Amino acid sequence: MGVSIVPTLKVLKPVGMIVGVGFVGLLVGYFANAAFFPGTTPVQPIEFSHTIHAGDYEIPCLYCHTEARRSPSAGVPSVNKCMGCHAIVATDSPLVREVARHYENAEPIPWIKVHDLPDFVHFPHNRHVAAGLECQECHGPVETMDRVTRMAPNEMGQCLTCHRDMEVEHGIDCLTCHK
Amino acid sequence: MSLIDDFLARWHEYRRPGYYEEFDYHWTMTVDLDRCTGCEACVTACQAENNTPIVGEDAIARGRHMQWMRVERYWEGEYPDVKLRAIPMFCQHCDAAPCETVCPVSATYHNQDGLNAQIYNRCIGTRSCAVYCPYEVRYFNYNNHHWDEPLDQQLNPDVSVREKGVMEKCTFCIQRIRQAKDAAKDDGRRRVQDGEVQPACVQTCPTEALVFGDRKDPDSAVSLMLGNERAYTVLEELNTDPSVVYLKKVDADAA
Repeated sequence: MGVSIVPTLKVLKPVGMIVGVGFVGLLVGYFANAAFFPGTTPVQPIEFSHTIHAGDYEIPCLYCHTEARRSPSAGVPSVNKCMGCHAIVATDSPLVREVARHYENAEPIPWIKVHDLPDFVHFPHNRHVAAGLECQECHGPVETMDRVTRMAPNEMGQCLTCHRDMEVEHGIDCLTCHK
Repeated sequence: MSLIDDFLARWHEYRRPGYYEEFDYHWTMTVDLDRCTGCEACVTACQAENNTPIVGEDAIARGRHMQWMRVERYWEGEYPDVKLRAIPMFCQHCDAAPCETVCPVSATYHNQDGLNAQIYNRCIGTRSCAVYCPYEVRYFNYNNHHWDEPLDQQLNPDVSVREKGVMEKCTFCIQRIRQAKDAAKDDGRRRVQDGEVQPACVQTCPTEALVFGDRKDPDSAVSLMLGNERAYTVLEELNTDPSVVYLKKVDADAA
Protein backbone atom coordinates (compact mmCIF):
# COMPACT_ATOMS: atom_id res chain seq x y z
CA MET A 1 0.00 0.00 0.00
CA GLY A 2 1.63 3.22 -1.21
CA VAL A 3 1.38 6.59 0.50
CA SER A 4 -0.68 9.13 -1.42
CA ILE A 5 0.57 12.72 -1.64
CA VAL A 6 -2.93 14.04 -2.32
CA PRO A 7 -3.73 14.89 1.33
CA THR A 8 -0.41 16.75 1.64
CA LEU A 9 -1.18 18.78 -1.49
CA LYS A 10 -4.63 19.58 -0.13
CA VAL A 11 -2.98 21.09 2.93
CA LEU A 12 -0.21 22.83 1.01
CA LYS A 13 -2.59 24.64 -1.34
CA PRO A 14 -4.25 26.89 1.28
CA VAL A 15 -0.93 27.36 3.06
CA GLY A 16 0.62 28.51 -0.21
CA MET A 17 -2.30 30.86 -0.79
CA ILE A 18 -1.92 32.42 2.65
CA VAL A 19 1.84 32.84 2.31
CA GLY A 20 1.49 34.29 -1.19
CA VAL A 21 -1.20 36.78 -0.26
CA GLY A 22 0.76 37.71 2.87
CA PHE A 23 3.92 38.33 0.87
CA VAL A 24 2.14 40.52 -1.69
CA GLY A 25 0.52 42.42 1.21
CA LEU A 26 3.93 42.92 2.81
CA LEU A 27 5.40 44.36 -0.39
CA VAL A 28 2.42 46.66 -0.98
CA GLY A 29 2.49 47.78 2.66
CA TYR A 30 6.20 48.49 2.57
CA PHE A 31 6.02 50.73 -0.48
CA ALA A 32 2.80 52.38 0.67
CA ASN A 33 4.47 53.16 3.97
CA ALA A 34 7.50 54.62 2.24
CA ALA A 35 5.28 56.66 -0.11
CA PHE A 36 2.71 57.99 2.34
CA PHE A 37 4.76 58.29 5.53
CA PRO A 38 8.03 59.78 4.40
CA GLY A 39 8.74 61.17 7.88
CA THR A 40 11.96 59.25 8.23
CA THR A 41 13.48 60.92 5.16
CA PRO A 42 11.96 64.38 4.74
CA VAL A 43 12.75 66.52 1.70
CA GLN A 44 14.47 69.62 3.03
CA PRO A 45 13.72 73.10 1.61
CA ILE A 46 17.30 73.30 0.34
CA GLU A 47 19.00 70.08 -0.78
CA PHE A 48 21.80 70.27 1.75
CA SER A 49 24.19 67.33 1.37
CA HIS A 50 25.93 65.96 4.44
CA THR A 51 27.99 63.75 2.09
CA ILE A 52 29.78 66.79 0.69
CA HIS A 53 30.21 68.67 3.97
CA ALA A 54 30.77 65.98 6.60
CA GLY A 55 31.92 63.20 4.26
CA ASP A 56 34.12 64.66 1.51
CA TYR A 57 35.41 67.75 3.31
CA GLU A 58 35.36 66.11 6.76
CA ILE A 59 33.96 69.09 8.60
CA PRO A 60 33.37 67.96 12.22
CA CYS A 61 29.72 67.70 13.28
CA LEU A 62 30.28 70.10 16.15
CA TYR A 63 31.61 72.81 13.85
CA CYS A 64 28.10 73.57 12.61
CA HIS A 65 25.99 71.91 15.34
CA THR A 66 28.03 73.70 17.96
CA GLU A 67 25.22 74.00 20.49
CA ALA A 68 25.33 70.23 21.08
CA ARG A 69 28.44 70.83 23.16
CA ARG A 70 26.95 73.28 25.62
CA SER A 71 23.18 73.02 25.54
CA PRO A 72 20.55 70.30 25.91
CA SER A 73 19.38 71.00 22.35
CA ALA A 74 21.82 70.36 19.50
CA GLY A 75 20.29 73.09 17.39
CA VAL A 76 20.47 73.81 13.70
CA PRO A 77 23.18 76.17 12.45
CA SER A 78 22.03 79.66 11.58
CA VAL A 79 22.10 81.03 8.04
CA ASN A 80 24.86 83.28 9.30
CA LYS A 81 27.02 80.22 9.93
CA CYS A 82 26.37 78.91 6.41
CA MET A 83 27.40 82.24 4.95
CA GLY A 84 30.57 82.20 7.05
CA CYS A 85 32.01 79.82 4.46
CA HIS A 86 29.70 80.36 1.51
CA ALA A 87 30.40 84.06 1.20
CA ILE A 88 33.57 82.82 -0.56
CA VAL A 89 33.07 79.10 -1.21
CA ALA A 90 30.96 77.80 -4.13
CA THR A 91 29.09 81.07 -4.63
CA ASP A 92 28.03 80.01 -8.14
CA SER A 93 25.98 77.01 -6.98
CA PRO A 94 22.22 77.59 -7.28
CA LEU A 95 21.71 76.02 -3.84
CA VAL A 96 24.20 78.38 -2.23
CA ARG A 97 22.52 81.29 -4.01
CA GLU A 98 19.29 80.16 -2.39
CA VAL A 99 21.01 80.24 1.01
CA ALA A 100 22.36 83.71 0.18
CA ARG A 101 18.85 84.87 -0.67
CA HIS A 102 17.69 83.82 2.81
CA TYR A 103 20.68 85.62 4.26
CA GLU A 104 19.94 88.88 2.42
CA ASN A 105 16.25 88.74 3.37
CA ALA A 106 17.28 87.98 6.95
CA GLU A 107 14.92 85.02 7.20
CA PRO A 108 15.70 81.54 8.58
CA ILE A 109 15.69 78.47 6.36
CA PRO A 110 12.70 76.30 7.41
CA TRP A 111 14.66 73.07 7.91
CA ILE A 112 12.60 69.99 8.76
CA LYS A 113 13.61 68.16 11.94
CA VAL A 114 14.58 64.54 11.26
CA HIS A 115 15.49 63.23 14.72
CA ASP A 116 12.71 64.41 16.95
CA LEU A 117 12.31 62.92 20.42
CA PRO A 118 8.91 63.09 22.13
CA ASP A 119 8.29 66.04 24.43
CA PHE A 120 8.34 63.90 27.56
CA VAL A 121 11.98 62.90 27.09
CA HIS A 122 14.82 64.79 28.69
CA PHE A 123 17.86 64.34 26.43
CA PRO A 124 20.72 66.78 27.13
CA HIS A 125 23.07 66.74 24.12
CA ASN A 126 25.82 68.44 26.10
CA ARG A 127 25.98 65.65 28.68
CA HIS A 128 26.16 62.99 25.99
CA VAL A 129 28.84 64.82 24.02
CA ALA A 130 30.80 65.28 27.24
CA ALA A 131 30.52 61.53 27.89
CA GLY A 132 32.39 60.98 24.63
CA LEU A 133 29.55 59.55 22.56
CA GLU A 134 29.95 59.65 18.79
CA CYS A 135 27.08 61.45 17.06
CA GLN A 136 26.77 58.46 14.70
CA GLU A 137 25.79 56.13 17.53
CA CYS A 138 22.30 57.64 17.61
CA HIS A 139 22.10 59.50 14.28
CA GLY A 140 23.57 56.82 12.00
CA PRO A 141 26.23 57.46 9.34
CA VAL A 142 25.06 60.98 8.48
CA GLU A 143 28.31 61.74 6.60
CA THR A 144 27.25 59.26 3.90
CA MET A 145 23.73 60.62 3.51
CA ASP A 146 22.77 63.09 0.80
CA ARG A 147 19.35 63.35 2.36
CA VAL A 148 19.33 62.58 6.08
CA THR A 149 17.32 59.53 7.12
CA ARG A 150 16.34 58.61 10.63
CA MET A 151 18.26 55.34 10.95
CA ALA A 152 18.12 54.52 14.65
CA PRO A 153 14.71 54.04 16.26
CA ASN A 154 15.76 56.28 19.20
CA GLU A 155 13.34 54.45 21.45
CA MET A 156 13.50 53.78 25.17
CA GLY A 157 15.20 50.41 24.72
CA GLN A 158 18.12 52.07 22.98
CA CYS A 159 18.54 54.57 25.84
CA LEU A 160 18.39 51.82 28.47
CA THR A 161 20.79 49.48 26.66
CA CYS A 162 23.38 52.23 26.31
CA HIS A 163 22.92 53.46 29.89
CA ARG A 164 23.40 49.89 31.14
CA ASP A 165 26.47 49.26 28.97
CA MET A 166 28.13 52.56 29.89
CA GLU A 167 27.23 51.98 33.57
CA VAL A 168 25.71 55.42 33.90
CA GLU A 169 25.07 56.35 37.52
CA HIS A 170 21.35 55.77 38.15
CA GLY A 171 21.06 55.51 34.37
CA ILE A 172 17.99 53.32 34.42
CA ASP A 173 16.02 55.41 36.92
CA CYS A 174 12.86 56.61 35.16
CA LEU A 175 13.38 60.24 36.16
CA THR A 176 16.78 60.30 34.45
CA CYS A 177 15.07 60.61 31.07
CA HIS A 178 11.36 61.11 31.70
CA LYS A 179 10.20 64.57 32.62
CA MET B 1 0.39 32.71 68.34
CA SER B 2 4.16 32.60 68.46
CA LEU B 3 4.28 33.64 64.80
CA ILE B 4 2.38 36.83 65.57
CA ASP B 5 4.55 37.53 68.59
CA ASP B 6 7.63 37.00 66.47
CA PHE B 7 6.27 39.31 63.78
CA LEU B 8 5.44 42.02 66.31
CA ALA B 9 8.84 41.71 67.96
CA ARG B 10 10.67 42.06 64.64
CA TRP B 11 8.34 44.67 63.19
CA HIS B 12 11.00 47.35 63.00
CA GLU B 13 13.34 45.02 61.16
CA TYR B 14 10.74 44.52 58.48
CA ARG B 15 10.36 48.26 58.14
CA ARG B 16 14.13 48.50 57.44
CA PRO B 17 14.81 51.82 59.15
CA GLY B 18 18.24 52.24 57.53
CA TYR B 19 16.94 51.65 54.00
CA TYR B 20 17.12 55.26 52.88
CA GLU B 21 20.66 55.73 54.17
CA GLU B 22 22.07 54.11 51.04
CA PHE B 23 20.49 56.73 48.82
CA ASP B 24 22.50 59.59 47.33
CA TYR B 25 20.41 62.56 48.31
CA HIS B 26 17.43 62.98 50.51
CA TRP B 27 15.65 66.05 49.23
CA THR B 28 13.72 67.70 52.00
CA MET B 29 11.68 70.85 52.35
CA THR B 30 10.86 72.71 55.52
CA VAL B 31 7.92 75.06 55.85
CA ASP B 32 8.18 77.64 58.63
CA LEU B 33 4.55 78.40 59.44
CA ASP B 34 5.67 81.30 61.61
CA ARG B 35 6.93 83.04 58.49
CA CYS B 36 4.14 81.96 56.12
CA THR B 37 1.64 84.73 55.49
CA GLY B 38 -0.62 82.69 53.21
CA CYS B 39 -0.01 84.99 50.23
CA GLU B 40 -0.12 82.06 47.75
CA ALA B 41 2.79 83.34 45.69
CA CYS B 42 4.14 79.76 45.83
CA VAL B 43 0.91 78.47 44.30
CA THR B 44 1.21 80.85 41.37
CA ALA B 45 4.89 80.09 40.88
CA CYS B 46 4.19 76.36 40.87
CA GLN B 47 1.44 76.81 38.32
CA ALA B 48 3.70 78.77 36.01
CA GLU B 49 6.69 76.45 36.38
CA ASN B 50 4.96 73.12 35.98
CA ASN B 51 2.50 73.79 33.13
CA THR B 52 -0.45 73.22 35.42
CA PRO B 53 -3.62 73.84 33.42
CA ILE B 54 -6.40 76.21 34.37
CA VAL B 55 -9.35 73.83 34.37
CA GLY B 56 -12.16 76.37 34.47
CA GLU B 57 -15.19 77.07 36.57
CA ASP B 58 -17.24 74.01 35.61
CA ALA B 59 -14.45 71.55 36.38
CA ILE B 60 -13.76 73.15 39.74
CA ALA B 61 -17.45 72.91 40.63
CA ARG B 62 -17.18 69.17 39.96
CA GLY B 63 -14.12 68.87 42.20
CA ARG B 64 -11.66 68.49 39.34
CA HIS B 65 -9.33 71.30 40.29
CA MET B 66 -5.67 71.12 39.37
CA GLN B 67 -3.17 72.65 41.71
CA TRP B 68 0.05 70.91 42.74
CA MET B 69 0.40 73.23 45.67
CA ARG B 70 -2.33 74.76 47.74
CA VAL B 71 -2.50 76.87 50.89
CA GLU B 72 -5.00 75.44 53.33
CA ARG B 73 -6.73 77.94 55.58
CA TYR B 74 -7.91 77.16 59.09
CA TRP B 75 -9.92 79.70 61.02
CA GLU B 76 -9.76 79.58 64.80
CA GLY B 77 -11.98 81.29 67.35
CA GLU B 78 -15.26 83.23 67.10
CA TYR B 79 -15.75 86.59 65.45
CA PRO B 80 -14.33 89.18 66.16
CA ASP B 81 -11.57 87.26 67.88
CA VAL B 82 -10.56 85.07 64.91
CA LYS B 83 -7.16 83.84 63.87
CA LEU B 84 -6.10 82.54 60.47
CA ARG B 85 -3.69 79.68 60.12
CA ALA B 86 -2.31 79.07 56.63
CA ILE B 87 -0.61 75.77 55.85
CA PRO B 88 0.98 75.21 52.43
CA MET B 89 0.21 71.65 51.36
CA PHE B 90 1.86 69.76 48.52
CA CYS B 91 3.25 66.26 47.89
CA GLN B 92 5.06 65.23 51.06
CA HIS B 93 7.35 62.76 49.21
CA CYS B 94 6.77 60.20 51.96
CA ASP B 95 9.48 57.61 52.48
CA ALA B 96 6.76 55.08 53.28
CA ALA B 97 4.29 56.38 50.74
CA PRO B 98 0.85 54.75 50.61
CA CYS B 99 0.45 55.81 46.97
CA GLU B 100 3.47 53.85 45.77
CA THR B 101 2.33 50.48 47.07
CA VAL B 102 -1.08 50.63 45.40
CA CYS B 103 -0.05 51.59 41.87
CA PRO B 104 -0.74 48.52 39.70
CA VAL B 105 1.75 49.56 37.01
CA SER B 106 4.50 51.10 39.17
CA ALA B 107 3.99 54.50 37.59
CA THR B 108 4.79 56.01 40.95
CA TYR B 109 7.81 54.80 42.85
CA HIS B 110 10.58 56.02 45.12
CA ASN B 111 13.83 56.87 43.42
CA GLN B 112 17.37 56.99 44.77
CA ASP B 113 17.11 60.67 45.71
CA GLY B 114 14.23 60.04 48.09
CA LEU B 115 11.75 61.50 45.62
CA ASN B 116 8.28 60.17 45.06
CA ALA B 117 8.35 59.95 41.28
CA GLN B 118 5.41 60.00 38.92
CA ILE B 119 5.95 58.72 35.38
CA TYR B 120 3.14 60.00 33.19
CA ASN B 121 3.76 57.60 30.31
CA ARG B 122 3.30 54.63 32.55
CA CYS B 123 0.20 55.88 34.37
CA ILE B 124 -3.02 54.21 33.26
CA GLY B 125 -5.25 56.38 35.43
CA THR B 126 -6.65 53.98 38.00
CA ARG B 127 -6.62 56.87 40.50
CA SER B 128 -5.94 54.47 43.38
CA CYS B 129 -2.93 56.53 44.44
CA ALA B 130 -5.15 59.57 44.91
CA VAL B 131 -7.50 57.49 47.04
CA TYR B 132 -4.69 56.26 49.26
CA CYS B 133 -2.89 59.61 49.61
CA PRO B 134 -3.77 60.94 53.08
CA TYR B 135 -2.67 64.48 52.11
CA GLU B 136 -4.97 64.74 49.05
CA VAL B 137 -2.22 66.17 46.88
CA ARG B 138 -2.57 64.04 43.76
CA TYR B 139 -4.53 65.48 40.86
CA PHE B 140 -6.09 63.68 37.95
CA ASN B 141 -6.39 64.97 34.40
CA TYR B 142 -10.04 64.52 33.53
CA ASN B 143 -9.58 66.35 30.24
CA ASN B 144 -7.00 67.34 27.71
CA HIS B 145 -6.18 70.95 28.42
CA HIS B 146 -5.21 73.56 25.93
CA TRP B 147 -3.58 76.94 26.22
CA ASP B 148 -4.92 79.78 24.10
CA GLU B 149 -2.63 81.99 22.06
CA PRO B 150 -0.29 83.44 23.26
CA LEU B 151 -0.38 81.55 26.58
CA ASP B 152 0.98 78.39 24.95
CA GLN B 153 4.23 80.27 24.46
CA GLN B 154 4.79 80.42 28.21
CA LEU B 155 4.78 76.64 28.73
CA ASN B 156 7.92 75.32 30.36
CA PRO B 157 9.77 73.13 27.83
CA ASP B 158 11.47 71.16 30.63
CA VAL B 159 8.15 69.86 31.95
CA SER B 160 5.88 67.66 29.89
CA VAL B 161 2.30 68.74 29.28
CA ARG B 162 0.17 66.00 30.76
CA GLU B 163 -2.58 64.30 28.83
CA LYS B 164 -6.06 63.22 29.74
CA GLY B 165 -6.17 60.19 32.01
CA VAL B 166 -2.95 60.51 33.99
CA MET B 167 -2.27 61.44 37.58
CA GLU B 168 0.07 64.26 38.43
CA LYS B 169 1.53 65.88 41.52
CA CYS B 170 4.39 67.95 42.91
CA THR B 171 7.80 66.70 41.74
CA PHE B 172 9.97 68.98 43.90
CA CYS B 173 10.73 70.60 40.51
CA ILE B 174 12.64 67.57 39.24
CA GLN B 175 13.68 69.54 36.14
CA ARG B 176 15.64 71.97 38.31
CA ILE B 177 17.24 69.18 40.34
CA ARG B 178 18.26 67.48 37.11
CA GLN B 179 19.67 70.71 35.74
CA ALA B 180 21.71 71.29 38.91
CA LYS B 181 23.07 67.74 38.75
CA ASP B 182 24.05 68.23 35.10
CA ALA B 183 25.76 71.50 35.97
CA ALA B 184 27.61 69.81 38.85
CA LYS B 185 28.81 67.06 36.52
CA ASP B 186 29.93 69.63 33.95
CA ASP B 187 32.00 71.28 36.67
CA GLY B 188 33.48 67.92 37.60
CA ARG B 189 31.83 67.86 40.99
CA ARG B 190 30.36 64.73 42.51
CA ARG B 191 27.48 66.33 44.39
CA VAL B 192 25.14 69.24 44.10
CA GLN B 193 25.97 71.94 46.63
CA ASP B 194 23.48 73.36 49.07
CA GLY B 195 21.43 76.21 47.64
CA GLU B 196 21.96 75.24 43.99
CA VAL B 197 18.51 73.73 43.68
CA GLN B 198 15.46 75.78 44.43
CA PRO B 199 11.98 74.67 43.45
CA ALA B 200 9.77 77.41 42.03
CA CYS B 201 7.83 77.81 45.28
CA VAL B 202 10.98 78.22 47.38
CA GLN B 203 12.41 80.72 44.93
CA THR B 204 9.25 82.80 45.01
CA CYS B 205 8.41 82.80 48.74
CA PRO B 206 8.76 86.45 49.82
CA THR B 207 9.22 85.64 53.50
CA GLU B 208 11.55 82.68 52.91
CA ALA B 209 9.21 80.39 54.79
CA LEU B 210 10.13 77.50 52.49
CA VAL B 211 13.63 76.01 52.58
CA PHE B 212 14.74 73.23 50.26
CA GLY B 213 17.86 71.12 50.37
CA ASP B 214 19.58 67.82 50.95
CA ARG B 215 19.09 66.23 54.35
CA LYS B 216 22.19 64.06 53.83
CA ASP B 217 24.38 67.17 53.97
CA PRO B 218 24.64 68.03 57.70
CA ASP B 219 25.52 71.68 57.01
CA SER B 220 22.72 72.43 54.56
CA ALA B 221 20.14 75.05 55.45
CA VAL B 222 17.43 72.44 55.59
CA SER B 223 19.37 70.21 58.00
CA LEU B 224 19.76 73.15 60.37
CA MET B 225 16.01 73.76 60.22
CA LEU B 226 15.26 70.10 61.03
CA GLY B 227 16.94 70.46 64.41
CA ASN B 228 14.41 73.10 65.41
CA GLU B 229 12.22 72.10 68.34
CA ARG B 230 9.12 73.35 66.49
CA ALA B 231 9.56 70.76 63.73
CA TYR B 232 6.75 68.30 63.07
CA THR B 233 5.34 66.33 60.16
CA VAL B 234 1.72 66.35 59.11
CA LEU B 235 -0.34 63.26 60.01
CA GLU B 236 2.62 61.75 61.82
CA GLU B 237 0.43 59.00 63.28
CA LEU B 238 0.07 57.40 59.83
CA ASN B 239 3.81 56.58 59.73
CA THR B 240 4.18 57.85 56.18
CA ASP B 241 7.52 59.44 57.13
CA PRO B 242 7.19 62.56 54.95
CA SER B 243 10.12 64.50 53.48
CA VAL B 244 8.34 67.79 54.13
CA VAL B 245 8.77 69.08 57.67
CA TYR B 246 6.68 71.89 59.09
CA LEU B 247 7.78 74.28 61.83
CA LYS B 248 4.95 75.10 64.19
CA LYS B 249 3.54 78.60 64.32
CA VAL B 250 4.32 80.46 67.53
CA ASP B 251 1.49 82.42 69.09
CA ALA B 252 2.63 85.57 70.82
CA ASP B 253 -0.38 85.61 73.16
CA ALA B 254 -0.48 81.85 73.83
CA ALA B 255 2.51 81.73 76.14
